[in-house]
Amino acid sequence: MTMTNSTESPMPREAVLAGTLVQLADSLVADFDVVDLLTVLVDRSVEVLSVDAAGLMLVAPDGDLRVMASSSEMMRVLELFEIQAREGPCLDCYHSGRPVVNQDLEASHGRWPRFTLEALAAGFQSVHALPMRLRGSVIGALNLFSHEPGELDQADIVAGQALADVATIAILHQRAAAEAQILNEQLNYALNSRVVIEQAKGMIAERAGLNVEEAFSILRNHARNHNLRLVEVARDVIEGTLAASALDQPQTAKPS
Amino acid sequence: MSLAGDRRLRILNLLVRDGGIEPETRRICNVSAKVTGMTGAGIMLMSDDVPQRSICTTDSVASLIEQLQLTLGEGPCVDAHNLQRPVLEPDLAQPARARWFGFAPPAVEAGARAVFGFPIRIGAARLGALNLYRDEPGPMGDEQHAEALVMSDVAAEAVMLFQSNAPPEMLAAELEAGDGLHYLVHQATGMIAAQLEVSVGHAMIRLRAYAFANDRPLREVAQDVLARKLRFHPESGENDPGS
Repeated sequence: MTMTNSTESPMPREAVLAGTLVQLADSLVADFDVVDLLTVLVDRSVEVLSVDAAGLMLVAPDGDLRVMASSSEMMRVLELFEIQAREGPCLDCYHSGRPVVNQDLEASHGRWPRFTLEALAAGFQSVHALPMRLRGSVIGALNLFSHEPGELDQADIVAGQALADVATIAILHQRAAAEAQILNEQLNYALNSRVVIEQAKGMIAERAGLNVEEAFSILRNHARNHNLRLVEVARDVIEGTLAASALDQPQTAKPS
Repeated sequence: MSLAGDRRLRILNLLVRDGGIEPETRRICNVSAKVTGMTGAGIMLMSDDVPQRSICTTDSVASLIEQLQLTLGEGPCVDAHNLQRPVLEPDLAQPARARWFGFAPPAVEAGARAVFGFPIRIGAARLGALNLYRDEPGPMGDEQHAEALVMSDVAAEAVMLFQSNAPPEMLAAELEAGDGLHYLVHQATGMIAAQLEVSVGHAMIRLRAYAFANDRPLREVAQDVLARKLRFHPESGENDPGS
Protein backbone atom coordinates (compact mmCIF):
# COMPACT_ATOMS: atom_id res chain seq x y z
CA MET A 1 0.00 0.00 0.00
CA THR A 2 1.39 3.38 -0.98
CA MET A 3 1.23 6.57 1.00
CA THR A 4 -0.93 8.30 -1.63
CA ASN A 5 -4.05 6.34 -2.22
CA SER A 6 -6.07 9.06 -3.85
CA THR A 7 -5.71 7.51 -7.32
CA GLU A 8 -6.21 3.97 -6.09
CA SER A 9 -9.43 2.62 -4.71
CA PRO A 10 -9.82 4.55 -1.46
CA MET A 11 -10.28 2.78 1.88
CA PRO A 12 -13.96 2.45 2.69
CA ARG A 13 -15.09 5.39 4.75
CA GLU A 14 -16.15 3.13 7.61
CA ALA A 15 -12.62 1.73 7.82
CA VAL A 16 -11.09 5.22 7.99
CA LEU A 17 -13.64 6.24 10.58
CA ALA A 18 -13.04 3.14 12.72
CA GLY A 19 -9.28 3.65 12.45
CA THR A 20 -9.68 7.27 13.50
CA LEU A 21 -11.80 6.39 16.51
CA VAL A 22 -9.28 3.77 17.62
CA GLN A 23 -6.41 6.21 17.18
CA LEU A 24 -8.22 8.89 19.18
CA ALA A 25 -9.17 6.45 21.94
CA ASP A 26 -5.54 5.31 22.16
CA SER A 27 -4.47 8.94 22.56
CA LEU A 28 -6.58 9.31 25.71
CA VAL A 29 -3.71 8.44 28.00
CA ALA A 30 -2.18 10.41 30.83
CA ASP A 31 -0.55 13.71 29.85
CA PHE A 32 -2.10 13.85 26.38
CA ASP A 33 -2.41 17.30 24.89
CA VAL A 34 -6.04 18.13 24.21
CA VAL A 35 -5.29 20.66 21.44
CA ASP A 36 -3.10 18.13 19.60
CA LEU A 37 -5.84 15.55 19.86
CA LEU A 38 -8.54 17.94 18.60
CA THR A 39 -6.29 18.93 15.70
CA VAL A 40 -6.01 15.27 14.66
CA LEU A 41 -9.77 15.07 14.93
CA VAL A 42 -10.52 18.01 12.63
CA ASP A 43 -7.96 16.79 10.06
CA ARG A 44 -9.61 13.37 10.03
CA SER A 45 -13.05 14.93 9.79
CA VAL A 46 -12.02 16.53 6.50
CA GLU A 47 -10.81 13.16 5.24
CA VAL A 48 -13.69 11.00 6.44
CA LEU A 49 -16.57 13.35 5.64
CA SER A 50 -15.26 14.65 2.30
CA VAL A 51 -15.44 18.27 3.32
CA ASP A 52 -12.85 20.97 2.64
CA ALA A 53 -12.33 22.47 6.06
CA ALA A 54 -13.27 21.61 9.64
CA GLY A 55 -12.99 23.35 12.96
CA LEU A 56 -13.91 22.78 16.57
CA MET A 57 -15.41 25.52 18.69
CA LEU A 58 -15.80 25.33 22.45
CA VAL A 59 -17.73 27.55 24.78
CA ALA A 60 -15.37 29.54 27.04
CA PRO A 61 -16.17 30.28 30.71
CA ASP A 62 -17.45 33.72 29.64
CA GLY A 63 -20.03 32.00 27.40
CA ASP A 64 -18.41 32.91 24.07
CA LEU A 65 -17.50 30.30 21.48
CA ARG A 66 -13.77 30.06 20.78
CA VAL A 67 -11.96 28.08 18.11
CA MET A 68 -9.92 25.22 19.61
CA ALA A 69 -8.70 23.47 16.46
CA SER A 70 -8.89 24.08 12.71
CA SER A 71 -7.89 21.95 9.73
CA SER A 72 -6.80 25.10 7.93
CA GLU A 73 -4.62 27.93 9.13
CA MET A 74 -5.82 30.22 6.34
CA MET A 75 -6.77 33.60 7.70
CA ARG A 76 -10.10 33.59 5.90
CA VAL A 77 -11.07 30.25 7.44
CA LEU A 78 -10.01 31.30 10.92
CA GLU A 79 -12.04 34.49 10.55
CA LEU A 80 -15.10 32.40 9.80
CA PHE A 81 -14.80 30.90 13.26
CA GLU A 82 -14.27 34.27 14.91
CA ILE A 83 -17.44 35.65 13.38
CA GLN A 84 -19.43 32.80 14.89
CA ALA A 85 -19.02 34.15 18.38
CA ARG A 86 -21.90 36.41 17.25
CA GLU A 87 -23.69 34.62 14.37
CA GLY A 88 -23.47 31.48 12.28
CA PRO A 89 -24.22 27.75 12.23
CA CYS A 90 -21.93 26.94 15.20
CA LEU A 91 -23.68 29.44 17.43
CA ASP A 92 -27.14 28.17 16.35
CA CYS A 93 -26.02 24.58 16.91
CA TYR A 94 -24.64 25.48 20.33
CA HIS A 95 -27.86 27.21 21.35
CA SER A 96 -30.22 24.52 20.03
CA GLY A 97 -28.09 21.45 20.81
CA ARG A 98 -29.11 20.06 17.41
CA PRO A 99 -27.17 19.49 14.19
CA VAL A 100 -27.32 22.38 11.76
CA VAL A 101 -26.62 20.64 8.45
CA ASN A 102 -26.81 21.21 4.71
CA GLN A 103 -27.02 24.94 4.94
CA ASP A 104 -26.87 26.33 1.41
CA LEU A 105 -25.01 29.57 1.84
CA GLU A 106 -26.55 31.19 -1.26
CA ALA A 107 -29.89 30.94 0.56
CA SER A 108 -28.85 31.95 4.06
CA HIS A 109 -28.10 35.68 3.71
CA GLY A 110 -31.02 36.61 5.91
CA ARG A 111 -30.11 34.22 8.71
CA TRP A 112 -26.38 35.01 9.06
CA PRO A 113 -25.65 38.11 6.92
CA ARG A 114 -22.03 38.68 7.86
CA PHE A 115 -21.02 35.01 8.16
CA THR A 116 -22.58 34.18 4.77
CA LEU A 117 -20.70 36.97 2.99
CA GLU A 118 -17.36 35.93 4.46
CA ALA A 119 -17.94 32.20 3.83
CA LEU A 120 -18.86 32.78 0.17
CA ALA A 121 -15.85 35.07 -0.25
CA ALA A 122 -13.66 32.25 1.12
CA GLY A 123 -15.07 29.96 -1.57
CA PHE A 124 -17.42 27.82 0.51
CA GLN A 125 -20.87 26.81 -0.73
CA SER A 126 -22.23 24.71 2.12
CA VAL A 127 -21.71 24.54 5.86
CA HIS A 128 -22.62 22.20 8.72
CA ALA A 129 -22.33 22.20 12.50
CA LEU A 130 -22.64 19.18 14.82
CA PRO A 131 -23.11 19.64 18.58
CA MET A 132 -20.66 18.43 21.24
CA ARG A 133 -23.15 17.24 23.81
CA LEU A 134 -22.68 16.18 27.36
CA ARG A 135 -25.54 15.06 29.62
CA GLY A 136 -27.99 17.64 28.39
CA SER A 137 -25.56 20.51 28.07
CA VAL A 138 -23.64 21.50 24.96
CA ILE A 139 -19.96 22.39 25.28
CA GLY A 140 -19.26 23.32 21.66
CA ALA A 141 -19.66 22.28 18.03
CA LEU A 142 -17.81 20.67 15.14
CA ASN A 143 -17.97 22.94 12.11
CA LEU A 144 -17.63 21.61 8.54
CA PHE A 145 -17.21 23.62 5.29
CA SER A 146 -17.51 22.51 1.66
CA HIS A 147 -16.55 24.20 -1.60
CA GLU A 148 -19.42 22.31 -3.27
CA PRO A 149 -23.10 22.85 -2.54
CA GLY A 150 -23.50 19.04 -2.06
CA GLU A 151 -25.30 17.63 0.96
CA LEU A 152 -24.17 15.45 3.85
CA ASP A 153 -26.19 12.23 3.85
CA GLN A 154 -27.42 10.51 6.99
CA ALA A 155 -24.33 8.26 7.16
CA ASP A 156 -22.07 11.34 7.00
CA ILE A 157 -23.99 12.99 9.82
CA VAL A 158 -23.73 9.88 12.00
CA ALA A 159 -20.00 9.61 11.29
CA GLY A 160 -19.46 13.32 11.99
CA GLN A 161 -21.41 13.08 15.23
CA ALA A 162 -19.24 10.11 16.30
CA LEU A 163 -16.15 12.27 15.80
CA ALA A 164 -17.70 15.15 17.73
CA ASP A 165 -18.55 12.73 20.56
CA VAL A 166 -14.96 11.51 20.75
CA ALA A 167 -13.80 15.13 20.97
CA THR A 168 -16.23 15.64 23.86
CA ILE A 169 -14.83 12.60 25.67
CA ALA A 170 -11.28 13.87 25.16
CA ILE A 171 -12.15 17.23 26.69
CA LEU A 172 -13.93 15.63 29.65
CA HIS A 173 -10.97 13.36 30.20
CA GLN A 174 -8.66 16.34 30.31
CA ARG A 175 -10.94 18.21 32.70
CA ALA A 176 -11.05 15.18 35.00
CA ALA A 177 -7.23 15.09 34.97
CA ALA A 178 -7.13 18.79 35.87
CA GLU A 179 -9.56 18.19 38.74
CA ALA A 180 -7.41 15.29 39.95
CA GLN A 181 -4.44 17.67 39.99
CA ILE A 182 -6.31 20.17 42.17
CA LEU A 183 -7.47 17.40 44.50
CA ASN A 184 -3.90 16.15 44.74
CA GLU A 185 -2.72 19.60 45.77
CA GLN A 186 -5.42 19.67 48.47
CA LEU A 187 -4.34 16.22 49.59
CA ASN A 188 -0.72 17.32 49.83
CA TYR A 189 -1.76 20.40 51.74
CA ALA A 190 -3.82 18.30 54.18
CA LEU A 191 -0.95 15.84 54.65
CA ASN A 192 1.53 18.62 55.31
CA SER A 193 -0.85 20.52 57.60
CA ARG A 194 -1.24 17.42 59.70
CA VAL A 195 2.54 17.06 60.04
CA VAL A 196 2.99 20.72 61.02
CA ILE A 197 0.25 20.54 63.68
CA GLU A 198 1.68 17.36 65.22
CA GLN A 199 5.16 18.87 65.31
CA ALA A 200 3.83 22.02 67.00
CA LYS A 201 2.03 19.90 69.59
CA GLY A 202 5.31 18.16 70.44
CA MET A 203 7.19 21.44 70.61
CA ILE A 204 4.62 23.09 72.93
CA ALA A 205 4.48 19.93 75.08
CA GLU A 206 8.26 20.01 75.51
CA ARG A 207 8.52 23.73 76.27
CA ALA A 208 5.52 23.88 78.62
CA GLY A 209 6.06 20.50 80.27
CA LEU A 210 2.64 19.20 79.18
CA ASN A 211 1.39 16.10 77.44
CA VAL A 212 0.44 16.36 73.77
CA GLU A 213 -3.32 16.53 74.40
CA GLU A 214 -2.84 19.54 76.70
CA ALA A 215 -0.49 21.07 74.15
CA PHE A 216 -3.13 20.66 71.47
CA SER A 217 -5.86 22.38 73.51
CA ILE A 218 -3.51 25.36 73.98
CA LEU A 219 -2.84 25.47 70.25
CA ARG A 220 -6.53 25.22 69.37
CA ASN A 221 -7.56 27.76 71.98
CA HIS A 222 -5.04 30.29 70.71
CA ALA A 223 -6.18 29.80 67.11
CA ARG A 224 -9.84 30.34 68.11
CA ASN A 225 -9.16 33.41 70.26
CA HIS A 226 -7.20 35.08 67.49
CA ASN A 227 -9.41 33.86 64.68
CA LEU A 228 -6.48 32.13 63.01
CA ARG A 229 -6.32 28.79 61.31
CA LEU A 230 -4.81 26.00 63.38
CA VAL A 231 -2.16 25.28 60.78
CA GLU A 232 -1.06 28.94 60.70
CA VAL A 233 -0.50 29.03 64.45
CA ALA A 234 1.26 25.65 64.30
CA ARG A 235 3.56 26.87 61.55
CA ASP A 236 4.46 30.02 63.51
CA VAL A 237 5.27 27.86 66.52
CA ILE A 238 7.60 25.48 64.68
CA GLU A 239 9.28 28.31 62.79
CA GLY A 240 9.94 30.08 66.08
CA THR A 241 8.06 33.30 65.18
CA LEU A 242 5.52 32.53 67.93
CA ALA A 243 6.96 31.41 71.27
CA ALA A 244 5.14 28.55 72.98
CA SER A 245 4.97 30.70 76.13
CA ALA A 246 3.15 33.45 74.21
CA LEU A 247 0.17 31.20 73.43
CA ASP A 248 -3.10 31.84 75.26
CA GLN A 249 -3.79 29.39 78.06
CA PRO A 250 -7.20 27.71 77.83
CA GLN A 251 -9.50 28.15 80.80
CA THR A 252 -9.83 24.41 81.18
CA ALA A 253 -6.06 24.13 81.72
CA LYS A 254 -6.27 26.04 85.02
CA PRO A 255 -5.23 23.92 87.97
CA SER A 256 -8.29 22.83 89.88
CA MET B 1 -14.75 -4.73 26.87
CA SER B 2 -10.96 -4.48 26.88
CA LEU B 3 -8.74 -6.76 28.92
CA ALA B 4 -7.88 -3.95 31.32
CA GLY B 5 -11.59 -3.19 31.61
CA ASP B 6 -12.27 -6.83 32.56
CA ARG B 7 -9.56 -6.74 35.21
CA ARG B 8 -10.91 -3.52 36.58
CA LEU B 9 -14.44 -4.82 36.82
CA ARG B 10 -13.27 -7.97 38.61
CA ILE B 11 -11.21 -5.91 41.09
CA LEU B 12 -14.14 -3.59 41.81
CA ASN B 13 -16.35 -6.66 42.35
CA LEU B 14 -13.85 -8.05 44.84
CA LEU B 15 -13.73 -4.73 46.67
CA VAL B 16 -17.49 -4.60 47.00
CA ARG B 17 -17.98 -8.27 47.83
CA ASP B 18 -15.29 -8.47 50.51
CA GLY B 19 -17.18 -5.80 52.42
CA GLY B 20 -17.71 -6.36 56.11
CA ILE B 21 -16.52 -4.14 58.91
CA GLU B 22 -12.97 -3.57 57.73
CA PRO B 23 -12.00 -0.04 56.75
CA GLU B 24 -12.12 0.57 52.99
CA THR B 25 -8.40 1.20 52.75
CA ARG B 26 -7.62 -2.14 54.38
CA ARG B 27 -9.88 -3.85 51.86
CA ILE B 28 -7.98 -2.22 49.00
CA CYS B 29 -4.73 -3.60 50.43
CA ASN B 30 -6.20 -7.08 50.85
CA VAL B 31 -7.52 -7.15 47.29
CA SER B 32 -4.16 -5.82 45.99
CA ALA B 33 -2.34 -8.78 47.54
CA LYS B 34 -5.00 -11.22 46.36
CA VAL B 35 -5.18 -10.28 42.68
CA THR B 36 -1.39 -10.07 42.30
CA GLY B 37 -0.80 -13.37 44.11
CA MET B 38 1.44 -11.69 46.69
CA THR B 39 1.90 -12.40 50.38
CA GLY B 40 1.00 -8.88 51.42
CA ALA B 41 0.51 -5.28 50.33
CA GLY B 42 0.55 -1.73 51.62
CA ILE B 43 -0.28 1.72 50.29
CA MET B 44 1.90 4.75 50.97
CA LEU B 45 0.88 8.34 50.34
CA MET B 46 3.76 10.58 49.35
CA SER B 47 4.18 14.28 48.84
CA ASP B 48 7.23 16.30 47.81
CA ASP B 49 9.03 13.01 47.03
CA VAL B 50 8.86 12.04 50.73
CA PRO B 51 6.83 9.14 52.13
CA GLN B 52 4.12 10.77 54.23
CA ARG B 53 1.83 8.11 55.60
CA SER B 54 0.94 4.50 55.20
CA ILE B 55 -2.83 4.29 54.79
CA CYS B 56 -3.12 0.50 55.00
CA THR B 57 -1.15 -2.73 55.24
CA THR B 58 -2.28 -6.36 55.12
CA ASP B 59 0.03 -7.76 57.81
CA SER B 60 2.98 -7.03 60.09
CA VAL B 61 5.62 -7.61 57.39
CA ALA B 62 3.87 -5.22 54.99
CA SER B 63 3.64 -2.77 57.88
CA LEU B 64 7.40 -3.09 58.55
CA ILE B 65 8.13 -2.55 54.84
CA GLU B 66 6.23 0.75 55.00
CA GLN B 67 7.72 1.78 58.33
CA LEU B 68 11.26 1.17 57.07
CA GLN B 69 10.57 3.38 54.07
CA LEU B 70 9.10 6.08 56.29
CA THR B 71 12.16 5.88 58.54
CA LEU B 72 14.86 5.60 55.91
CA GLY B 73 13.30 7.37 52.94
CA GLU B 74 14.34 4.51 50.62
CA GLY B 75 12.77 1.36 49.22
CA PRO B 76 10.55 0.14 46.38
CA CYS B 77 7.65 2.53 46.88
CA VAL B 78 9.91 5.57 47.27
CA ASP B 79 11.65 4.67 44.00
CA ALA B 80 8.39 3.85 42.22
CA HIS B 81 7.01 7.25 43.21
CA ASN B 82 10.14 9.20 42.29
CA LEU B 83 10.80 7.37 39.01
CA GLN B 84 7.07 7.14 38.13
CA ARG B 85 7.38 3.56 36.97
CA PRO B 86 7.09 0.09 38.55
CA VAL B 87 10.16 -0.91 40.57
CA LEU B 88 10.69 -4.67 40.73
CA GLU B 89 13.06 -6.56 43.03
CA PRO B 90 12.49 -10.31 42.57
CA ASP B 91 15.26 -11.29 44.99
CA LEU B 92 15.74 -8.84 47.83
CA ALA B 93 18.32 -11.05 49.60
CA GLN B 94 20.52 -11.39 46.50
CA PRO B 95 19.62 -8.52 44.21
CA ALA B 96 21.18 -8.28 40.76
CA ARG B 97 21.99 -4.65 41.52
CA ALA B 98 22.74 -3.65 45.10
CA ARG B 99 20.41 -0.94 46.39
CA TRP B 100 18.49 0.04 49.52
CA PHE B 101 21.35 -0.69 51.95
CA GLY B 102 19.30 0.38 54.95
CA PHE B 103 15.97 -1.06 53.83
CA ALA B 104 16.91 -4.49 52.44
CA PRO B 105 18.51 -6.32 55.44
CA PRO B 106 15.69 -5.79 57.97
CA ALA B 107 13.02 -6.39 55.30
CA VAL B 108 14.62 -9.72 54.31
CA GLU B 109 15.02 -10.68 57.95
CA ALA B 110 11.30 -10.06 58.52
CA GLY B 111 10.47 -12.39 55.62
CA ALA B 112 10.11 -10.18 52.53
CA ARG B 113 12.06 -12.02 49.79
CA ALA B 114 10.68 -10.16 46.77
CA VAL B 115 9.33 -6.58 46.75
CA PHE B 116 7.52 -4.59 44.07
CA GLY B 117 6.48 -0.93 44.00
CA PHE B 118 3.87 0.56 41.64
CA PRO B 119 3.20 4.31 41.40
CA ILE B 120 -0.29 5.46 42.33
CA ARG B 121 -1.29 8.38 40.13
CA ILE B 122 -4.05 9.95 38.09
CA GLY B 123 -2.81 11.82 35.03
CA ALA B 124 -0.07 14.12 36.26
CA ALA B 125 -1.21 13.89 39.89
CA ARG B 126 1.29 11.71 41.78
CA LEU B 127 -0.19 10.33 44.99
CA GLY B 128 2.17 7.64 46.27
CA ALA B 129 2.81 3.97 45.65
CA LEU B 130 1.49 0.46 46.10
CA ASN B 131 3.93 -1.86 47.92
CA LEU B 132 3.72 -5.58 47.26
CA TYR B 133 5.85 -8.32 48.78
CA ARG B 134 6.19 -12.08 48.58
CA ASP B 135 7.77 -14.43 51.14
CA GLU B 136 9.47 -16.31 48.28
CA PRO B 137 11.95 -14.85 45.80
CA GLY B 138 10.99 -14.79 42.13
CA PRO B 139 9.85 -12.41 39.40
CA MET B 140 6.35 -11.15 38.92
CA GLY B 141 4.41 -12.88 36.14
CA ASP B 142 3.00 -10.84 33.24
CA GLU B 143 -0.50 -11.52 34.52
CA GLN B 144 0.37 -10.36 38.05
CA HIS B 145 2.10 -7.27 36.66
CA ALA B 146 -1.00 -6.37 34.64
CA GLU B 147 -3.19 -6.84 37.72
CA ALA B 148 -0.90 -4.61 39.79
CA LEU B 149 -1.14 -1.81 37.18
CA VAL B 150 -4.93 -1.87 37.19
CA MET B 151 -4.97 -2.19 40.98
CA SER B 152 -2.81 0.92 41.42
CA ASP B 153 -5.23 2.87 39.19
CA VAL B 154 -8.16 1.71 41.31
CA ALA B 155 -6.25 2.72 44.45
CA ALA B 156 -5.60 6.18 42.97
CA GLU B 157 -9.29 6.66 42.25
CA ALA B 158 -10.20 5.50 45.75
CA VAL B 159 -7.77 7.96 47.37
CA MET B 160 -9.20 10.78 45.25
CA LEU B 161 -12.75 9.75 46.05
CA PHE B 162 -12.03 9.70 49.80
CA GLN B 163 -10.28 13.05 49.71
CA SER B 164 -12.95 14.70 47.55
CA ASN B 165 -15.41 14.30 50.44
CA ALA B 166 -13.04 15.68 53.08
CA PRO B 167 -13.57 19.15 54.58
CA PRO B 168 -11.17 21.75 53.17
CA GLU B 169 -7.60 21.49 54.47
CA MET B 170 -8.38 18.24 56.25
CA LEU B 171 -7.24 14.76 55.43
CA ALA B 172 -10.17 12.40 54.67
CA ALA B 173 -11.15 10.20 57.62
CA GLU B 174 -10.56 7.09 55.51
CA LEU B 175 -6.95 8.16 54.95
CA GLU B 176 -6.50 8.90 58.66
CA ALA B 177 -7.47 5.31 59.44
CA GLY B 178 -3.89 4.03 59.15
CA ASP B 179 -1.90 3.43 62.31
CA GLY B 180 -0.83 6.28 64.57
CA LEU B 181 2.86 5.98 63.77
CA HIS B 182 2.95 9.25 61.92
CA TYR B 183 1.47 11.34 64.69
CA LEU B 184 3.86 9.95 67.26
CA VAL B 185 6.86 10.52 65.04
CA HIS B 186 5.91 14.10 64.19
CA GLN B 187 5.05 14.93 67.79
CA ALA B 188 8.39 13.50 68.94
CA THR B 189 10.11 15.51 66.21
CA GLY B 190 8.57 18.70 67.66
CA MET B 191 9.79 17.78 71.14
CA ILE B 192 13.31 17.05 69.92
CA ALA B 193 13.41 20.35 68.00
CA ALA B 194 12.62 22.13 71.30
CA GLN B 195 15.21 20.08 73.19
CA LEU B 196 17.99 20.77 70.70
CA GLU B 197 16.85 24.28 69.65
CA VAL B 198 17.01 23.22 66.00
CA SER B 199 14.56 23.16 63.09
CA VAL B 200 12.01 20.35 62.83
CA GLY B 201 13.81 19.15 59.68
CA HIS B 202 17.02 18.75 61.63
CA ALA B 203 15.18 17.14 64.55
CA MET B 204 13.64 14.57 62.20
CA ILE B 205 17.09 13.60 60.90
CA ARG B 206 18.35 13.17 64.48
CA LEU B 207 15.37 10.99 65.38
CA ARG B 208 15.77 8.78 62.31
CA ALA B 209 19.53 8.53 62.80
CA TYR B 210 19.03 7.46 66.42
CA ALA B 211 16.49 4.78 65.46
CA PHE B 212 18.74 3.48 62.69
CA ALA B 213 21.96 3.50 64.79
CA ASN B 214 20.25 1.67 67.65
CA ASP B 215 18.41 -0.69 65.33
CA ARG B 216 15.04 0.21 66.83
CA PRO B 217 11.71 0.95 65.12
CA LEU B 218 11.04 4.64 64.65
CA ARG B 219 7.67 4.31 66.39
CA GLU B 220 9.25 2.85 69.51
CA VAL B 221 11.87 5.59 69.74
CA ALA B 222 9.18 8.23 69.22
CA GLN B 223 7.10 6.70 72.01
CA ASP B 224 10.12 6.90 74.35
CA VAL B 225 10.60 10.56 73.50
CA LEU B 226 6.92 11.32 74.15
CA ALA B 227 6.99 9.35 77.43
CA ARG B 228 10.07 11.42 78.33
CA LYS B 229 12.20 8.32 78.68
CA LEU B 230 14.57 9.65 76.05
CA ARG B 231 15.97 13.16 75.64
CA PHE B 232 18.29 14.59 73.03
CA HIS B 233 21.10 16.88 74.22
CA PRO B 234 22.64 19.57 72.04
CA GLU B 235 26.27 19.55 73.27
CA SER B 236 27.30 15.93 73.53
CA GLY B 237 25.02 14.65 70.80
CA GLU B 238 24.33 11.76 73.13
CA ASN B 239 20.92 10.78 74.24
CA ASP B 240 20.11 9.42 77.64
CA PRO B 241 17.01 8.43 79.46
CA GLY B 242 15.30 11.32 81.19
CA SER B 243 15.12 11.30 84.95
